[in-house]
Amino acid sequence: MTQLFTLLKISDGLAIQFGADGLGRMFLCLDTVMWILVGIYAFKYKEHMKHTKRFFAFYLLTYLMLAALSMAANYLTMYLCFEFMTLLSMPMVLQDGTPESIAAARKYLMYSIFGATLGLLGFFFSAHYGAGTVFTPGGLLDPAKVAGNESKLLVVAFLSIAGFSAKAGMFPLHAWLPTAHPVAPAPASAVLSGVITKAGVLCILRVMYQVYGASFLAGTWVQKALIVLSLITVFMGSMMAYGEDLLKRRLAYSTVSQVSYVLFGVFTLHPVALLGALLHVIYHSIIKDGLFLGAGAVIFTNHKEYVSQLHGMGKRMPVTFGCFTVCSLGLIGIPPFAGFLSKWYLAAGSLSEGLPVLSWLGPAVLLLSALLTAGYLLPISIHGFFPGEGEKEAEGKEAPFQMLFPMLVLALGVVVFGVFAQPLADALLRIAEAMF
Amino acid sequence: MSLVQNVPAFSILLLMLCGIVCLVLPRRAARHLADCAIALVAAASVALLVYFLQGGAAYTYSMGEIGAPFGNELRAGMLEAAVATLFSIVTLLSLMGGRAHLRSDIGRLKVNLYYISTLFLLCSMLALVYTNDIFTAYVFVEINTITACGIVMSKEDGYTLAASMRYFIMSLIGSGLFLISICILYAVTGHLLMSNIQEAVAQLYAQGEYRAPLQVAIALMGVGLSLKSALWPFSSWLPDAHSSASASSSAMLSGLVLKSFIFLMIKIFYRVIGAGIVRTHAVLDLLLVFGILGMVMGSVNALFERDIKRLLAYSSVGQIGYIFCGVGLGTPAGVAAAMVQVAVHATTKAMLFCAAGGLMDASGGSKKFRDIEGAGRRDPYAGVAFIVGTLSMIGIPFFGGFITKLSLVQAAVTVGGWRNLLSILAIIVSTILTAIYYINVLAIIFRAPETAPTKASEKLKEEWKKQVRLDTEYEVAIVLFILLNLAIGLRSDQLMQIITTGLSMFG
Repeated sequence: MTQLFTLLKISDGLAIQFGADGLGRMFLCLDTVMWILVGIYAFKYKEHMKHTKRFFAFYLLTYLMLAALSMAANYLTMYLCFEFMTLLSMPMVLQDGTPESIAAARKYLMYSIFGATLGLLGFFFSAHYGAGTVFTPGGLLDPAKVAGNESKLLVVAFLSIAGFSAKAGMFPLHAWLPTAHPVAPAPASAVLSGVITKAGVLCILRVMYQVYGASFLAGTWVQKALIVLSLITVFMGSMMAYGEDLLKRRLAYSTVSQVSYVLFGVFTLHPVALLGALLHVIYHSIIKDGLFLGAGAVIFTNHKEYVSQLHGMGKRMPVTFGCFTVCSLGLIGIPPFAGFLSKWYLAAGSLSEGLPVLSWLGPAVLLLSALLTAGYLLPISIHGFFPGEGEKEAEGKEAPFQMLFPMLVLALGVVVFGVFAQPLADALLRIAEAMF
Repeated sequence: MSLVQNVPAFSILLLMLCGIVCLVLPRRAARHLADCAIALVAAASVALLVYFLQGGAAYTYSMGEIGAPFGNELRAGMLEAAVATLFSIVTLLSLMGGRAHLRSDIGRLKVNLYYISTLFLLCSMLALVYTNDIFTAYVFVEINTITACGIVMSKEDGYTLAASMRYFIMSLIGSGLFLISICILYAVTGHLLMSNIQEAVAQLYAQGEYRAPLQVAIALMGVGLSLKSALWPFSSWLPDAHSSASASSSAMLSGLVLKSFIFLMIKIFYRVIGAGIVRTHAVLDLLLVFGILGMVMGSVNALFERDIKRLLAYSSVGQIGYIFCGVGLGTPAGVAAAMVQVAVHATTKAMLFCAAGGLMDASGGSKKFRDIEGAGRRDPYAGVAFIVGTLSMIGIPFFGGFITKLSLVQAAVTVGGWRNLLSILAIIVSTILTAIYYINVLAIIFRAPETAPTKASEKLKEEWKKQVRLDTEYEVAIVLFILLNLAIGLRSDQLMQIITTGLSMFG
């Protein structure tokens, strides 16, 4: 980061600083586009909600914190924005005010703050062992101070990365996600699942690549343990989604699995895998927002929440289900839709990284999980459009245009970014290479 | 000798004098006199702090110009001035924040006695901060004990009586041990002035004489003072005493009284015994281990508590653990971190106790969780205070609690061996537990009524509306407390500067 904007400076170690690097810009663009699209949708969906003023206030405040998080130039700023993003997005979860949603919001808060406290530990150590505070590609640790304390720092690195991964829903801190996302109103669950989980990814990227540095962590037990955890999550999330009937919770489990694809790429510490991870950040945001908006449209128009209630619904809501199907295909990774390319790069990067066992086990798990993804997403579309003989077909009507429009844009995005991915991939490759 | 150097003696004598005068004044006048006296002492302490900030050196003040070894000495440096400032400001704000409760909790005839106790309490705390004479310290320790029990007992119900008796007994055991320790030191060295004892002790240590008595003296000192400052497991008296007292009393007891003994302990370790000798003694390790246990156990107890004031009291046990953890690390950075925590906890916990008083007012006087549901909405000042307190406890940057954790971890990183690992682990565990129970409180006090309003809740609401008091004093106190917390967070650099310079003047 060449130019820094200092908002507040207490001492050299404690300052609120912002700066724009490629990574931050990418996340900022993603956040902004998603927030606008979901915002358009929410203006219609609000007819379904109480306390709409409160909802939009916190919707915008969360966006503010996400934008600040993307531009954060040092660990302290990042931690501050991260905590406030949690606190300010929590009211969106308890929007309905039911005992269930309050319990979910509390669970969300507990997990996030537990994770963030571990992240705070990382700040204390980076402040002590760092040569400066501003994020630097290759790491900001001071080799002279680090010498002799490597093992201690590795433990701290593991704890802080695992802490931030609570937001990204990585095992073992994933349990809040399938509870909190389904109880929120559809626009909120769309951004929670699609965008806010990526804030955890951003923090992990910063910590791994720009605080500790890829070379410090490469080949250590920290890297291996994190890869194993992410692979467990990929597989477990898919399995859980496969067995879930409540549509929004099925999508939330899918998020658990898919964000860990991203984390797998991040933990591999290889430019190509990192490129795959960054691509998947964008693709998964688009796709998961599309899926959640589709699920919300069904709830809003026809009050159906369970997958088993959706037989024949595709005939009643052809546009919604069309978009839903396109997004599903993207998430499974069928070319030419978005999602194929990112998984391709993830696998390619992992294979060329050359960690024993993990380098081939990773792609194998990813493949298996893609199969499961097809297993839990496609039946929704198939039964929606082609209900079986003798099945009772659901009644209903198409969603209003104001809700269809963002879904159409997202579905179009899935196609466009899948077919014409090269410029995007080139740009992201530059970002990925600059991280090392 | 410049005029400002008289501040230590002036503060102590002024508070004592006003306390005596309060006895014969009408209630209102007594209250105003107490407020003015404390405000004046706060202003004077600030002036003294400014004097040191402008480069004044630490000095010894002989009372009545009688020199050592017979005279009675005060000693002031930057740290003492800063702590005196903190104590007097927090006392004043606590009185303001709990004033409405004082009216209802304390019988009309006891109002004067309450203000006398408060003045003497502050006087004794300042004396403990300034004194350079170990026997004077003992005298003021006793005054402190009696007045502290007095302000607990002033709320007239059987519960406070039992709690304060328990407090009194535990406290007296502590002072007894402290006295025995002083006797041993006097017998071995023949001095009562702190600097003289240090010379004698260093000499004895060099010659290898009287090892055992000195060891015992250090140990008794440590145990006695940690009993009085509620180090876990000596903290069993604290939740009862602090939760049953009136709001201002709880604020002062939790916020200040415990810290005055910790400050005395630091002073005795570093000025009377000498840093080099204390570091070779096992007492620091014990303080560290019990501090760490306190950090965890206080939070665990608070986790299961369903009474807002008892929760805050258990939280104090946990937070006191942080201070002992810092002291137990034994390095100057550790002691500095402990002093930061003294300041942070004094302001935060006093604020929370005052706010808890507000919550109780908004819930028909009950402090049980099931009754204070939604109280943060009815009394927004208390609600905001609890939000700030929670953010500070979680360790959000630019709130006080963050600075404590930062300085404590940075102090812990530099010490070697098991101390380092254990204390950092304890900080993390305790932070997480603290976050959980404070967020739980927030969830309760901001809970919107779930069901249709019942008859009882309607009645409560009516009552609350009727007594919408224009209690500006309480509101001002809460706002000032919040600003103090933020000031510590935002001016942490200057605070650390004051503390480290003060510590270097201390020895």
